[in-house]
Amino acid sequence: MSRPPILGRFGHGYVAPAAVLVAVLLYAPFVWTAYLSLTRYDGLESPVWVGLANFVKLFDDDALLTSTRNTLIWVAGTMALPVGLGLLVAVLSYDLKGGAWYRVPFMLPYALSGAGLAMVWSPVLSHDGIANLLLGVDTAFLQEAPANTLAMLAVWTWQQLGVNTLLFVVGLQSIPREPIEAARLDGASGWRLFRHVTWPLMRPLTAVVVGLALVSSLKTFDIVWVLTQGGPGRNSETLAVTMYKETFVASDYGYGSAVAVLLTVVTGLASYLYLRRQVTAT
Amino acid sequence: MIRRIVLVALGLVWLGPTYLLLVNASRPADTYDPASAWAPSGDFALLENFARAVEGANLAGSLASTALYSVVSPLLGVLAGALAGYVIVVLRLRHGFWWFLLIFGGTVFPSQMLLVPLFVGYSEAGLYDTRLGLILIYTAINAPLGAFVLRNFYAGVAFSIFEAARMDGASTWRVFWRIYLPMSLPALTAVFILEFTFIWNDLVFGLTLTQSEDVRPVMTALAGLMTDVYAGTPVPVGLAAGLVVSLPTVVLFLATQRLFARGLSLGSVQ
Repeated sequence: MSRPPILGRFGHGYVAPAAVLVAVLLYAPFVWTAYLSLTRYDGLESPVWVGLANFVKLFDDDALLTSTRNTLIWVAGTMALPVGLGLLVAVLSYDLKGGAWYRVPFMLPYALSGAGLAMVWSPVLSHDGIANLLLGVDTAFLQEAPANTLAMLAVWTWQQLGVNTLLFVVGLQSIPREPIEAARLDGASGWRLFRHVTWPLMRPLTAVVVGLALVSSLKTFDIVWVLTQGGPGRNSETLAVTMYKETFVASDYGYGSAVAVLLTVVTGLASYLYLRRQVTAT
Repeated sequence: MIRRIVLVALGLVWLGPTYLLLVNASRPADTYDPASAWAPSGDFALLENFARAVEGANLAGSLASTALYSVVSPLLGVLAGALAGYVIVVLRLRHGFWWFLLIFGGTVFPSQMLLVPLFVGYSEAGLYDTRLGLILIYTAINAPLGAFVLRNFYAGVAFSIFEAARMDGASTWRVFWRIYLPMSLPALTAVFILEFTFIWNDLVFGLTLTQSEDVRPVMTALAGLMTDVYAGTPVPVGLAAGLVVSLPTVVLFLATQRLFARGLSLGSVQ
């Protein structure tokens, strides 16, 4: 691979469109937001340097505490439900005869997307909605915290389980058969077979699915924004929603940028720790 | 046996809401009653309901704009990415790997880190609430994935193809345009579909960078409609809107499923 470049200087013309787009529209805003997080700025007057004041405020903000708690519920809940339950469905069905048919009900909701999903669930979860009538209860699903976050997590699970199941099934079907057959012959079955043979073999795939879910759940925004806008009050906000509201509702661009930086640091740190664990474990 | 019972039970739980959605989205809007939401309706009014949502919320312009964004931006993004992949791998651009890292690094920023500068910058540059503004940001977000997949793809192509074409007198641009680009069609398609879906479903950039009904992407427009579900929009109309706007991504995916699978596996060849 140490052949000389074929196209010396003009080569940059080929790489320029992508590089310029990325530099101007992704890198520059990133750096600008990092700078703004150290200022007081309302979008009208020029930014005023305030050092770490926004970050100090972060630690003394009840709303931020709530949205951190909700974000953690989203992360833990995503691991347990769409991912965990998805794994269960995959393991139960992957080697069944006609297993694909058992998975159809879980795939259907994946057709709905973004705001469409929330649109569909709103009349189910509303106060005079179908869920209350059906269950014969009178619960304000989207009112009380943290119940509203859990209700939205249930909606999210309904939509996301299928795609996680599908990824796990692909992984399960591609692991070598021999170790499993050998373990069967040695008398392993059921839980023990799964725990000691199947699970270690599907580890690389699990790492990818869990990693993707980790990062995306930390950034949960769409479903919350559409179903509750982070309310009532601010009790169902996630960090991403708080960032949006501080910036574009409260016009506190500096503080909103600080929340964005916090979110970036948390996401980066979580990814780093997770990747490091994956690397040392294998 | 227990496995089948668990799967069927869980499947029924999942089918419940799906059934409710389909039945009530197709119910004539004025006959909706939460108490009898389970009963199927004799009339099929899905399309009427959707038409009513399009009319009521003025979604027609928004749908057309969203279609424009979801087609043009991935095309431009994947082309920019393919060019970068080609020059880095085939033409062996000096410091090519660093150029690649620079481009691919663009994918790691959460969109929250971009919103304020984009909003302020777009306002000053006259790009706020314009179709061009949205196409630009979507293209920038899409280019890194294109570069990633196409770089992998071109790395797996025999170099003798390039040499033979050069021997025949083709310029490097012509080799790209007439040979490498057509050859990578499956990989291009796979990236295109992922990016189409991402843009079609985008909420946050539409929310931040647009205002007027015609420019606003459809998911953002729908989110606005949501607050009206109680203020007059009948439930079946809302349901039909949510269902029908989700269809393009599903149809595209089903129509190109095989090409998509082939493209992704090709993209991962090293």
